[in-house]
Amino acid sequence: MENYDVLVIGSGGAGMRAALEAVRQEGLSVALMTKMFPTRSATGCAQGGINGALKNMDPADSLEKHSFDTVKGSDYLGDQDAIEYFVSQMPDAIRELDYFGVPFSRDSEGRIAQRNFGGASSPRTCFSADVTGHVILHTLYEQCLKHGVKMLTEWYLLQIVVKDGQLNGVVAYDMKGGRIVPLAAKAIVVATGGAGRIYWLRTTNPFTSTGDGMAACLDAGIALKDPEFVQFHPTGLAGTGILMSEASRGEGGYLLNNQGERFMARYAPEKMELATRDLVSQAIETEIKEGRGFGQGLSAYVQLDLRHLGREKILERLPQIRELAITFEQVDPIEQPIPIRPSCHYTMGGIDVLDYRTCTTAVTGVYAAGEAACVSIHGANRLGGNSLADIIAFGKFAGKGAADCARQRQVVEVASVDKAAKEWEDKFFLVTSRKTGATITGIRDRLAEIMWNNVGVFRTEAEMAAAITIVDQLIEEYQTVQVLDSNKVYNTIFVNYIELGSMLSVAKAVVLGALHRQESRGSHCRADFPERDDEGFLKHTLITKQTAGYNISYRPVVVTRYQPAERKY
Amino acid sequence: MRQITYIIERFDGARKFTQEYSFSHQPGKTILWGLITIKDTLDPTLAFTAACRSAVCGACAIRVNGQATLACETPLDATLDRFGDTLTLAPLQNFTVIRDLVVGWEEKTRHLADDQTWLIPQDKFSVQNGCRQSAADFKKINTQAACILCGACASECSKLTANHNDFLEPFTYSKVWKFVADTRDKSAPERIKAILDKGLWKCLHCAECIAKCPKGLAPGEDIARLRRLSIQMGYTDSPGARHALAFLQDITDTGRLNEAKLSVRSIGVLGSIKKFPLALKLIRRGKLNPFYFPTKVKGHDQIKAILNALKESEQP
Repeated sequence: MENYDVLVIGSGGAGMRAALEAVRQEGLSVALMTKMFPTRSATGCAQGGINGALKNMDPADSLEKHSFDTVKGSDYLGDQDAIEYFVSQMPDAIRELDYFGVPFSRDSEGRIAQRNFGGASSPRTCFSADVTGHVILHTLYEQCLKHGVKMLTEWYLLQIVVKDGQLNGVVAYDMKGGRIVPLAAKAIVVATGGAGRIYWLRTTNPFTSTGDGMAACLDAGIALKDPEFVQFHPTGLAGTGILMSEASRGEGGYLLNNQGERFMARYAPEKMELATRDLVSQAIETEIKEGRGFGQGLSAYVQLDLRHLGREKILERLPQIRELAITFEQVDPIEQPIPIRPSCHYTMGGIDVLDYRTCTTAVTGVYAAGEAACVSIHGANRLGGNSLADIIAFGKFAGKGAADCARQRQVVEVASVDKAAKEWEDKFFLVTSRKTGATITGIRDRLAEIMWNNVGVFRTEAEMAAAITIVDQLIEEYQTVQVLDSNKVYNTIFVNYIELGSMLSVAKAVVLGALHRQESRGSHCRADFPERDDEGFLKHTLITKQTAGYNISYRPVVVTRYQPAERKY
Repeated sequence: MRQITYIIERFDGARKFTQEYSFSHQPGKTILWGLITIKDTLDPTLAFTAACRSAVCGACAIRVNGQATLACETPLDATLDRFGDTLTLAPLQNFTVIRDLVVGWEEKTRHLADDQTWLIPQDKFSVQNGCRQSAADFKKINTQAACILCGACASECSKLTANHNDFLEPFTYSKVWKFVADTRDKSAPERIKAILDKGLWKCLHCAECIAKCPKGLAPGEDIARLRRLSIQMGYTDSPGARHALAFLQDITDTGRLNEAKLSVRSIGVLGSIKKFPLALKLIRRGKLNPFYFPTKVKGHDQIKAILNALKESEQP
């Protein structure tokens, strides 16, 4: 049987950073398993930059300012001890990336350039034009090649095998080899990314952001923390949801309604377009709702205007934005404003991490990092530039945590992994030989529709109650869904089938968390509870899956230096 | 309702076959939209990969009517205007096909590892303090850093199609050039030395890699940059380098090529004797005149001026 001390699952920034840390530890067998070729990961879609108080642009910047911006950005739901630790690691982590070979844009002294970003009190977002995630992802891949990290490429996670609170391994589908494989592992790092695809087409995320690791952890008895906090990026292309980087606002872009007004003056008079993502998204949706958008219904939009930046700056700082706008919206930002609308971008919630220094979860041997995890440093709203920072910092901690754990653990119980793999063999045969039932695309599209309409930017009790009913119904239909391809070699529809199951699991947690959080905080905006309620809800939601159904509990937020205060930009 | 057809070259892991799918046209869509439409509504067994659908991840590179392209950013309407309402879709060439449009990357990633395509930082830099680089020097590696490893260049590379045993994927040369050009890196000489034996002089200059790169890289030009630097470093003792130098010499001397001499100077007397049958064939067809000794072309001084200007522009 495949047997590893540390198995990292997911090949985005967090996974690759974790694998690099684990291989650095002597005497451990390490592998990185990923459902696609490593550089296809969502990290590559991150455009604008990575936050760290390097003070290159602003000598007055500081760790304290980065901490406070993050806490305030999180609408005080982030754990302040974790945030302080996180920001303190970032300057070194970014210099390490430079040493790894990330081609950063530079200032006049040859230091890493930094730019303004939403919710930041100093220009502290380090960048490489508008392809920062892409260059970080590829550089980490280069480093994995350098250190000979063993890659199980196009191996898809089916199950995390846990017995009595202890990890024994995972079951995977080796897509190219066409076989279901048991893998014993003393420790795993779940770094499988977000679940933005529960909103299917109204997301900036790749097709592959389906919450696989989150759902597998739920099934393994680990809680999801704060799943109701879903970030809607203000500037997704109107037609496709494709991301227009926050850098477009950071570099000075305007948001305009159909009156030609810079409407952010009404919502954030001081910061204007550079308010946090939650506020800007809510502002855009309000403009549309009140008739000041362009177009109607699902195809309504407002405009992102870059024209005043001038041709040179657009070509220098935002070349990819321009290309994407031309290709997918047939608009050249040098000449015309870009039609945009909020698009699901990031899951602040995720696998419940218990210790931010090691990224451990409630199951011995299971570690989690990146968007799949919730530490929590992003709380109710993540700041732009803090996700690339998150994956680099916590990927490293998780890799170290998992390695330390593997060293301490003796053998795992292999038989349970074997048994689970055999059950998956049977399941593969069962689901692929079904000839009737609902279709995967049918369930997927109805899930996305109800999530966008009823659990989107604005939420109410009645709409979410209706959403729960429908999600439950979809979960029921999923039990007999048809898969219709029995070929074991690279069976993408079988993968889509498991992905859909993951999305349903996570979506239900999102709706439940949202329904029970009777307040508005950060990205979670309740029309029926418009105020933040620190007395009732300054706490993390924890959702677990039990045989009887989902269970909700709460855990207090860690407050150290910054008492919750009203959030104004 | 206007119908369009994709004819797809398929492979199920054991058997190769083609399959036709017809579906309703919709305006303003992409090639990838068509593939998704087929998978969602006609045939769930069709296998292809796609992730970001915004041309940054490289997952969806395929061949459409013999041209490698990213399915996600290729406009359907423009493609139909060019080729008509029936398109032929195939997996990338020069890759192992896993299933349908899905290809394997094992051999390619081995090359990336063998050729040490990672930064080897100069000793003055450290992991604690990072590196320094001027904005101008960043721009020297910016273009190559945009590579998304989609494989389009490798698919269309005429040299790889002819023989992939003595040549690397074009993107690998671009990666190597990226590190040679990176002022943070200390290993340019070793990198040049290592790449010499990896087919550096075997590129056929068909420029397909340049034409097909969706991210504006020019691997063929990066190969030329590597060659130029290798000659500057004194690596002139190879048929490729000698050929290039002899070519330059002829142009400098007369403005014309002396093809008979070119062969002798590139591959030596012995090598040329081996090519004798080919030479005879060329002579018979009137393509080579062994008694031709070129005289200076008219306006030769202008050619010299161009060559001098080029030389000056290359001074650092």
